[in-house]
Amino acid sequence: MEEDKEPAERRQGRRSFLQAFAAALGCGGMAIAANAVVREAVAAGSPPPIPNIPGYDWTKHHWAFGVDATKCIGCLRCVEACKAENEVARDAHHFRTWVERYVYLEGEDTPRIDSQADPVNISASGSEGEYRFANRYKDAKVDKAFFVPKLCNQCTHPACVQVCPTGATYKTEDGVVVIDHTYCIGCQYCVQACPYGARFFNAELKVTDKCTWCYHRITKGMLPACVEVCPVGARIFGDRNDMQSPISQFIKNNRVDVLRPETGNAPNVFYVGIDKDVD
Amino acid sequence: MPKHIVRLVLLILAFGVIGYAARTYFTANSYYEYGYYRGASVAEIALDKPKYQGTAYCQTCHAQQYADWSKGVHNSVVVGKIVKCEVCHGPAGRRDPPPGYINSATGPVHPDNVKLVVPTDTVKLCTQCHEQMPGRPQGQPQIVVATHAGTTQCTTCHNPHSPRIIGAAAAATAPSGDAAVGKAKAEASNCAACHGPAGVSENLPGPSLAGQKAAYLVGAFKAYKTGARGNPVMAGMVGGLSDADIGNLAAFYAGSSCKSTRNGEKKAAAAGQAIVSKCAACHGIAGISAQPAWPNLAGQSVNYLVDALQSYKNGGRKDATMSGITKDLSDADAANLAAYFSNANCK
Repeated sequence: MEEDKEPAERRQGRRSFLQAFAAALGCGGMAIAANAVVREAVAAGSPPPIPNIPGYDWTKHHWAFGVDATKCIGCLRCVEACKAENEVARDAHHFRTWVERYVYLEGEDTPRIDSQADPVNISASGSEGEYRFANRYKDAKVDKAFFVPKLCNQCTHPACVQVCPTGATYKTEDGVVVIDHTYCIGCQYCVQACPYGARFFNAELKVTDKCTWCYHRITKGMLPACVEVCPVGARIFGDRNDMQSPISQFIKNNRVDVLRPETGNAPNVFYVGIDKDVD
Repeated sequence: MPKHIVRLVLLILAFGVIGYAARTYFTANSYYEYGYYRGASVAEIALDKPKYQGTAYCQTCHAQQYADWSKGVHNSVVVGKIVKCEVCHGPAGRRDPPPGYINSATGPVHPDNVKLVVPTDTVKLCTQCHEQMPGRPQGQPQIVVATHAGTTQCTTCHNPHSPRIIGAAAAATAPSGDAAVGKAKAEASNCAACHGPAGVSENLPGPSLAGQKAAYLVGAFKAYKTGARGNPVMAGMVGGLSDADIGNLAAFYAGSSCKSTRNGEKKAAAAGQAIVSKCAACHGIAGISAQPAWPNLAGQSVNYLVDALQSYKNGGRKDATMSGITKDLSDADAANLAAYFSNANCK
């Protein structure tokens, strides 16, 4: 046989190499295992670690957001504030939060929907960096009309986190879905996965971006920028762990609704005053 | 166990160990700290510097504006409508470095090296919220821009920090008085010599008073009494009047039946009608005002109206709103508006 013809020295050399290799693997494996065991033992003795955010413990909060669509006047101050606060591109295509207008004209069954990104509204605003709703229905026979502010729902079971291949997007303990832009590879699976269209791709930086409920503000005890500037109180934010917080009271005192409950994402933005056609 | 199986098992184990070692050494230290993500990124995201600072931040230096705002309708805490400073002026802070999701704890802040905007085009700014539009809730104050004031800047009549009409709040409550007593007092004081019997002046020197807003009349009496409106004849007439007399006289004239003077030229009146939007927001398109503090203009004599407009323009009568409105009003426009209102039906 071929094998028998193999020189003895070569066979010897391979055997000793394999033995040395196995020994090295064994040692390496034991070292790693020992390391893991020690780390587990250390971790077991101390409380679970929390991120190093000064004056903030993420285990003590459970953030939630409310939208009272009956109060919204469509002034879009929230959209502009969000762009300024979060360095979002000042154009008509990238929004962390936006406002939709639903208009039912007399005799029509389906609403006409537009948002600040609509070309008619952009031309009314004067530039792509400013936002306003054009008064395009002022002479029409309007049966019913209302505005609906939208943003990331920070779902309890976020589909976007499920599909991320690198762990760049995740849900924090206090209930916010954020993106680690240093780990995002720009594959845009999450943009596809989100049932609410809440994510967008920044082609310049080659990363995905989304609303974080202004995580840098809420961890400092401030309100998200859109809530801070809303002049009519249509946006409500707070901590559901605090029964007296505005959001707890909002959910308690109203019959609230969420968008597309059938997706199973369990959104954490609660709506009042939306219609059957809003999703 | 056959040798080839042992080798296979060893090989699989080897791959496993290599894989585990690679995962340990190549992933970031904090990767599995809280879950399947880089734990350190949580604090990095939270590090970002907020830009919107809130109203308390502005109060320190802009105490007067803050006081105006905090008492005004733009701070209606009860109804939950609060237009904070940064809604119109923009955020007080900037972030460093500017573009692109790069987390930063530092950045310039107003007033050090960030200048905030004082909005100049208030028609554009204010109508973001106040333009009448389908979809806006009933409770939101809304105007039809074209008929409200056209292209006149909102700040001509409104203090942006407390945007009720300037000066309207003082006499907003309707006074009470006894019209019969007021009638007797008017006859005793010979008001009719200038204002006509029962306050219908026709072409006498004084304005018609019949049917005028009572609150406005009270305000006028008091302005003459304090000298805020300088007029030697009226100063002498009202000097001895008590507050009760003023209330009674106002009730008498407000309750009298008015009659339009109609002494404006038709051509001038038509020209006045074209620019009536300057006045319509307060005095009504037809010269009948919606608020007790603002006078009706319909049916007043042309001479009196022109005189009043000129007095506001040259400072003889002082009213922040009216001086703003009349500042750029030409004499021809004033005459045309006077003719239009004089010919309007006062009832």
